[in-house]
Amino acid sequence: MNRWNFPDLGIGVGLRTVHFGHILSRRPAVDWFEVLSENFMDTGGHPLWVLDQVAERYPIALHGVSMSIGSTDPLDREYLRKLKSLAARTRARWVSDHLCWTGVAGRNVHDLLPMPYHEEALRHTAARVRQVSEILERPLVLENPSSYVEFASSAMTEWDFLSRLAQEADCGLLLDVNNVYVSSFNHGFDPRVYIDNVPADRVVQYHVAGHTNKGTHILDTHSDHAVAEVWELFRRSCRRTGNVSTLYEWDEDIPDFDVLHAEALKARAYREEPAAPPVRVARGA
Amino acid sequence: MQEVVVHPGSIDEALASKAARAEIPPERLADVVLPSRTLAPAQRVEIYQRMYLLRMEEALGIDYPALQHFLGPRGFRDLVRDYVASFPSRSYTLNRLGDHLPAFVLTAIGRRHRGFCHDLARLELAMTEVFDAVETPTLSAEAVAAVRAEAWATARLRPIAAFRLLALRYPVNAYVQSLRGRGHRHPRPLRKDGWVAVYRRHYGVHRLELSRPAYRLLSELAAGASLGEAVSVAARRPGRSAAGQTQLYRWFREWMSKGLFMGLEGLEPSTNRL
Ligand SMILES: [Fe+2]
Repeated sequence: MNRWNFPDLGIGVGLRTVHFGHILSRRPAVDWFEVLSENFMDTGGHPLWVLDQVAERYPIALHGVSMSIGSTDPLDREYLRKLKSLAARTRARWVSDHLCWTGVAGRNVHDLLPMPYHEEALRHTAARVRQVSEILERPLVLENPSSYVEFASSAMTEWDFLSRLAQEADCGLLLDVNNVYVSSFNHGFDPRVYIDNVPADRVVQYHVAGHTNKGTHILDTHSDHAVAEVWELFRRSCRRTGNVSTLYEWDEDIPDFDVLHAEALKARAYREEPAAPPVRVARGA
Repeated sequence: MQEVVVHPGSIDEALASKAARAEIPPERLADVVLPSRTLAPAQRVEIYQRMYLLRMEEALGIDYPALQHFLGPRGFRDLVRDYVASFPSRSYTLNRLGDHLPAFVLTAIGRRHRGFCHDLARLELAMTEVFDAVETPTLSAEAVAAVRAEAWATARLRPIAAFRLLALRYPVNAYVQSLRGRGHRHPRPLRKDGWVAVYRRHYGVHRLELSRPAYRLLSELAAGASLGEAVSVAARRPGRSAAGQTQLYRWFREWMSKGLFMGLEGLEPSTNRL
């Protein structure tokens, strides 16, 4: 169990527009939904109307892409205010974003850009994480990104940086095992070492996803089934953390809801016994 | 790194650009970015650079599907490239990235299709604004019925938040409509005046074609004129007859039934029995 007693919500999927109709009409037996915060922060229309109904029936966790926690620009207070109010509206169990920066000098390139991993960056990011947690009045949860670039100025590994950041800023971790795999391929490290060195009691959520192998590098496309190696990393990590809320990400060429849900439910076979999720039991409903 | 990522040219052009040079001189890139077993530093940065414009194109394509269809993939990609160079995202959300596109089209599209593309972009922008507007209550039939006949002249009808009115010079509403059908028989991009109300009802975005006088009346109302004032402005046309009054009544009924108004103001307390 993690140190904040965030519950194991079971196996969830991301709430995506193409599935809105299916979810509202069929009420599939999914354990929980992850919601992309930015898609619901500035609309009073259909998406929010759907989200309100989903949040009535299912546990929700918010997942963002624009906090830019590693940037040197000041934190966007307006963004954080809206995020906090969305979290309250959906009774979000936790709020996550990525260890990255998305732009500087007021710009947003809407990508998860990698950071250099050194002492100065660590101090800078830890201070910002603490600020955000204070504003949100809950521990921020940060996800390890997948990356295609490494900086010469880095003085430590990503897992060391992430572990120290989590400790120093007292934040939670969303461990994306596919991202670990993608980055290990792109940067040439052993993904098992990464998994084995993450502070287990800070992991409050998992991501599993598919990717696209280009031969020279792997792109984190979320467009496919997860490969066996990624599931094995997930199994390895679950042995350390115990069962933690797990989410399958599929964002490109999104299949029918049932296909997506079936892919997510594969996680059962890799989680720790007992494999059954705690609340609702899915499949065939 | 950001200046390289957002550069629209090749990776070499991006690295050599003035803005990128100010961050990292290209000859020093290897001091900043490590190579991998398979990729040189520039190739690794290029992965991010390539994804940037694709992402912008995808975001704007969601907001402007008809404009994208009209310009074709190549034309739209060029427009997006130039647009985000002038109006890069400065927000946490991509929702409003395209807000300046209608104005930008006027400077970016060749003369032949400029007017058509401008109107098309204006209509699609109105549709996204209406899609995301806050939900406001609609004026109920009971509230309307409760208004005494003599009170109507001073009444002001407030439109719902999810409502936009457009006067158009090209048949772009018909164009958007033609994309919904299977035949793809699009109207030609030639001058043709039209008037459209875009509004949301039960969380769906709708477009209502208006006649010119109906548009004038509705714009007066939306601008805050009382019903009496709006009618007199709209009726300032020679030959408005009793039949015209019947027409006005029909319009109101239609607009009320579509839920275009959220409230009635300017009623004497005694005349509004609600
Ligand atoms: Fe992820």
